Amino acid sequence: MLALDLFVNGLIFGLFYALMAVGLAMIFGVLKVVNFAHGELYMVGAYTYVLAATKLGIPVWLALPLAALAGAALGALIERTLMRPLYAGYGSWAIMKDEYAVVVTFGLSLLLVNLVDKIVGPYPFRGPALIETSRFAVGPVMLNGQKLVAAGISAAMMVALALFIKRSLWGRQIQAVAQNRLGASLAGIDATRATSLVFSISGLLAALAGALLAPLINPSPDVGAFPAIKSYVIVVLGGMGSIWGAMAAALLLGVLESFFAVYVSYDYRDAFGLLILILVLLFRPQGLMGEKGRDV
Amino acid sequence: MSGERNLWSARLAADLRAALAIVTVLAAVPLFVSSPYWLGVLVVSIYFALLALGWNLLAGFAGQFSLAPAAFAMIGAYVTGLLDYHLKAPLWIGIPAAIAGTAALGWLLGRIVLRLKGPYLALTTLSFAEIARVVIGNSYVFTRGDQGLNVPTLMQSRVGYYYLFLGVLALVLVALHRLMRGRAGRFWLAIRDDDIGAESRGINVVRYKTLAFALSCAICGLAGSLYGTFSQLVSPELGLLLQTGLVISMVVIGGMGTLTGPVVGALLVYVSSEWLRAVGNIQLIVFSAAVIVFARFFRAGLWGLATRRR
Repeated sequence: MLALDLFVNGLIFGLFYALMAVGLAMIFGVLKVVNFAHGELYMVGAYTYVLAATKLGIPVWLALPLAALAGAALGALIERTLMRPLYAGYGSWAIMKDEYAVVVTFGLSLLLVNLVDKIVGPYPFRGPALIETSRFAVGPVMLNGQKLVAAGISAAMMVALALFIKRSLWGRQIQAVAQNRLGASLAGIDATRATSLVFSISGLLAALAGALLAPLINPSPDVGAFPAIKSYVIVVLGGMGSIWGAMAAALLLGVLESFFAVYVSYDYRDAFGLLILILVLLFRPQGLMGEKGRDV
Repeated sequence: MSGERNLWSARLAADLRAALAIVTVLAAVPLFVSSPYWLGVLVVSIYFALLALGWNLLAGFAGQFSLAPAAFAMIGAYVTGLLDYHLKAPLWIGIPAAIAGTAALGWLLGRIVLRLKGPYLALTTLSFAEIARVVIGNSYVFTRGDQGLNVPTLMQSRVGYYYLFLGVLALVLVALHRLMRGRAGRFWLAIRDDDIGAESRGINVVRYKTLAFALSCAICGLAGSLYGTFSQLVSPELGLLLQTGLVISMVVIGGMGTLTGPVVGALLVYVSSEWLRAVGNIQLIVFSAAVIVFARFFRAGLWGLATRRR
């Protein structure tokens, strides 16, 4: 019965991973770059939630959307100040484009970690839980209230995002820009707005993940590093740029890791995901779902 | 054709002269500075200059943007440390073994990532670096894990170490200059600018890409191995991603694709970070902000700004 417990808990972690990774996949979809500061959006979300709830006394259910909004604003700011040269009429930037994106997002990640470290302090904070319950058992599965609520919100966000991308006008515009930026512009789509929107959504989801997990992880300034690395693995596993691939790969990685940690080695569980990343890039660079999975 | 050829060699020669001038100035420093603390700071900044030159060979000259330079420094240091710990091998075996080991591993990594570019290459080398660090940190029995390994020292004198690092820096600079002036250097630039074009003109892209990986990693491995004997302790912290971030910021601030740029960047960033640490531990904030500003607005770096054609 341990297996069922591991499976359910792995699935829950997979949902959190999905919240992180989907935004990264969308960014890769529209700009073909990796945002190495993605983990710091998660960190900013966690800190906004904890500080708003504990220092300002804002109710937790208000602090949660506040944290998500902070992430969205930061995402939009990153796009406006640092990413725009990658596509908006800077011809010579096409050379060394990938290098620029890596350097600038890597630098941003260092900057955000150290700013928070300096301003708020290097010590971990404990966030207040959304609902206070102790661990309880559902059949053989051990759960607690915070985890369950957080997983529920994550699942709801994934459904909302899927509907947004598939059905709404803006969502369809994002799909068009991801397929062909020039073609989308010629058809009258505001590609700049779509790109900005993608960064805001990406920041919103990552910050929300951080806020939801804040009561479970006790955020410190470098808390974003591990979720970021997980999202790289997931984005590669799902086929770079594919939203649906990222969602499926997130759940898969959550479950695989949970079993690996118990049955193979707890110490090496983080190396395991990275090994998957290398193997997928070498032998199946289109991701597990292949070209068909690449809607956005 | 010949004009361009001369332009590149002339620029490279001027670049080498400037870099060696910096080395000469550094050689005079112990005449004025006797504080072991500041000499130590300079030794560490030369260590970073070596890493920056190694990474710049791969990323700046050959266009292969790796995120693993610090990991190779860590591996080089561990080769020397483990040879001493398990086999009691003397350092005159341990240090060359570190160079050979990291060169071989770099060659292998180069073979593996041969077909990957841009973000794919960055993610794969990042994963390689993190796996190497996790494996070394968790193999308690073989490597003593996070406790680190004690390494014997080459000499007691700090001034001696200073001149050793400086000598190695000068040697690496001259060797890089010779490489870049010759066939390999031109082929690397061609591969960086257009690898398909380079291949279509008959350049053996596979051989020269893997050569760049092997040489770059060997320089990092040598630097790590020497640093291990200097600090007499090697730990997985040498391979932290933060260290790679520092190396990249040094090269970007100094000037990518030059010989002088990485040296200037390393000295400037590390020496002033000691100073900023005293001001209030803000060195990483300042440098990460600087790297963003340089990458966004001054892509040629400090050395590029200084030598801009009028």
